[in-house]
Amino acid sequence: MSAPLESYLRTYRKRSGFSQDEVAFLLGSASGQRVSRYECRARRPTLETALAFEAIFQTPVKQLFAGLYQKVEKDTIARARVLTEKLNAARLDRITARKLVALQSFAASAETHAHR
Amino acid sequence: MNPLLNQPTRILAIDPTSKGFGFTVMEGPEKLIDWGVKHAGSGSPRNRKSVAQASGLIVRYRPEVLVVEHTSAKGCRRRARVRRLIKSLLTLARQHRLRARRISRQSVLRSFGQSSAANKYRVAVTLTEQFPELAPHLPPERKLGDSEDERMAIFDALSFGWMFYQTMRREARALSLHGEPAPFPNA
Repeated sequence: MSAPLESYLRTYRKRSGFSQDEVAFLLGSASGQRVSRYECRARRPTLETALAFEAIFQTPVKQLFAGLYQKVEKDTIARARVLTEKLNAARLDRITARKLVALQSFAASAETHAHR
Repeated sequence: MNPLLNQPTRILAIDPTSKGFGFTVMEGPEKLIDWGVKHAGSGSPRNRKSVAQASGLIVRYRPEVLVVEHTSAKGCRRRARVRRLIKSLLTLARQHRLRARRISRQSVLRSFGQSSAANKYRVAVTLTEQFPELAPHLPPERKLGDSEDERMAIFDALSFGWMFYQTMRREARALSLHGEPAPFPNA
């Protein structure tokens, strides 16, 4: 099993046939150097840039940055477990029950992604 | 269902040329991650430069398997320098703890021969149908007396990579018939 790469920007750019300079132009940047840094994982794009990539390649951000998404999801699941324990220890009222349902649904969805 | 079965093995396939090498990175038989030609210049340190460039690709893509041509297979017409380069690449794979797989050109031609692609160019055309992103890289058909376009090395590397997944699939199927675990369950 191979863990996904942090970013698949280069793959999607090459598939679309764009050069780094052309993608840089679409991002409103002066040179392709910036795109090169994103592709080499030397630099992480801002949220605006990530969304621009999604628009350019018509691919969801979580697919463009599959490895990064997996890591972020894993870390969030770990924190969700801690929060669930805290909430379970607290007095159960309607709002806490609502939070627990949301956390349960998030954990189930993450589990489904992990198995897909 | 075993989740491991869904995450494909990432491979790096390399095909040396007279000036460097062509490569493809794949995640499964249908997913091409990167491709290109690397130039190592001319002169004696060519192999050393090629190995350094291949090492860069290994660091960037962290493949599990390195796929190269089987130079001791019957019908291999590779020159001595290329044979040495492939040997160095196999050593590099060991240093990076990658599995290495050698694929003979004959087996590629045999496999594609079943789909009426019997020479390198026909194989490249067939692969372009499967991977349309490579269409701009497909060189015109070589004429008698012409030297080979270096971009053909991308298609040769791709054919080795594609063949690797076919072989793994066949081996996994054969082992599962005997109730044994597959060597690459996700290939």
